[in-house]
Amino acid sequence: MRKVAVIVPFALGEADLARRRAQTEAVSLSADIDYDFVPVKAGPSSFQSPHDWLLLDVAVLEAGLDAEDIGYSAVVVDTASDSGVDALRSVLDIPVVGPGRASMLFALTLGKRFGVLAQWEPALARVEKSLTEWGLWKHCAGVEHFDTEPDFEKLIGDKSEAVIPKMEAACRRLIEAGTDVICLGSTTMHEAHEVLAGRLPVPIINPGPLSYKLVEILLATGLSHSRRTYPKPLVPKPEMIHAMLESAARRSQS
Amino acid sequence: MRDGGLKVLVLVPFPMTDDQLAKREEQSHEVELPERVELHYRTTRAAPSNYVSAMDYVLADVTLLEAGMHAADQGYDAVCIDTISDSGAAALRSVLDIPVIGPGRTMFMTALMLGRRFGVLSMWERWFGLYERTLRELDIEDRCAGIRSIDAQPDSKNLFTGKEDDLLPRLHDTARLLIDEDGADVICLGSTTMHQAHQYLQERLEIPILNPGPLSYLTAEATLALGLTHSRMAYPDPLVPKKEMISEMLDAAARVDRS
Repeated sequence: MRKVAVIVPFALGEADLARRRAQTEAVSLSADIDYDFVPVKAGPSSFQSPHDWLLLDVAVLEAGLDAEDIGYSAVVVDTASDSGVDALRSVLDIPVVGPGRASMLFALTLGKRFGVLAQWEPALARVEKSLTEWGLWKHCAGVEHFDTEPDFEKLIGDKSEAVIPKMEAACRRLIEAGTDVICLGSTTMHEAHEVLAGRLPVPIINPGPLSYKLVEILLATGLSHSRRTYPKPLVPKPEMIHAMLESAARRSQS
Repeated sequence: MRDGGLKVLVLVPFPMTDDQLAKREEQSHEVELPERVELHYRTTRAAPSNYVSAMDYVLADVTLLEAGMHAADQGYDAVCIDTISDSGAAALRSVLDIPVIGPGRTMFMTALMLGRRFGVLSMWERWFGLYERTLRELDIEDRCAGIRSIDAQPDSKNLFTGKEDDLLPRLHDTARLLIDEDGADVICLGSTTMHQAHQYLQERLEIPILNPGPLSYLTAEATLALGLTHSRMAYPDPLVPKKEMISEMLDAAARVDRS
């Protein structure tokens, strides 16, 4: 049995982690792989400014740093921002999958242009940063949001009746803008995937489940990221990084 | 979530003998496929002699369309095209709701999940037009670090058999140039018929080498597991499908090819 670490970008308790883990039920997965959902020790409270993005990069890096030594065969990051992925790839040889970039590139195998459904206006800056970093602007028909503050712990939960019509309306705006395939802009939207996919005439990519299938593909083919793209540090600093996050965790709890 | 078996039709772009088809089928043993996936290989009934000109491309598209257009009615869950050119994939997508996987676009996009720029390692310069066509269509020419070949006219039926000692070291040296001179972070094999070189190259090179055929089978399974297929917006269906006409065109083509 192989084990995959799914790094959850918030320091969640068991009940909230279960809502994240529910993503593995949305897709047929190999019986030979177990997914452990591992929360970061500490992190930002919101996800809308460069301060938040940076803290999350560090927190995810720390949470996954020892994954290979612990015996994991791959790491997935449970955020479509792919926070921490580049840094983890620079220190790990096992595959590290970020659902964001994977969603957009996979979308381009199914249609000509993708659109991104973002949560609310403050989330747009991070989506735009990703599109720039990954060189995917010219393939993107649009980014639309549904004007709802994210709840990173409870996700959509019991608010679906109010939220899903707004998500659907935003998706329809994307289609009007020329979108062939819609990428859900956050793994926290997974609870809405099935309903949206049933109502809309284009494929809707659910980033979390896609990332698990990509892990299966990479493990089956023996592939991982290219060391030429993600060179190793001359001097890795795992103790320093762990100490930083232990301090951060103490500060968050105090 | 776990569920039942999946039948995937793999369309081989040339008519061939059973022995030759078996060499194509070897690709399925190069990766560990999920148990529920059953691959069925089917050849086209006629074909261009090789894929090197615009005439060949048109014939390739129509022969593959004909070979796969009834796949859903025949009980298949997905179709994979056994050529990196993705020939026939767009037309098949326009008439099928089940996933149709083109190994070319799948490989290039997967390469970009693993590195910044990929290089294409080919047998033959005359195949470059095939890659350039897909790269242009996907608008990712700027992500391709280079395309290089060993300048050996390929044998699309017998593949590498008997010529391994000559071909494999040359492919290795050319791949080195893609990495060292062109800056490729990932290498894409330029044909599903190069699968016999994959292991040799991956053991000797430090960057990921993508083997398009096996990757396409795994992608078909993943696409089905996710409940996805191609977008109808990108691949609109015809107002009047002409399947009988296409079948009869291929009856005629097969008669001429045999004579």
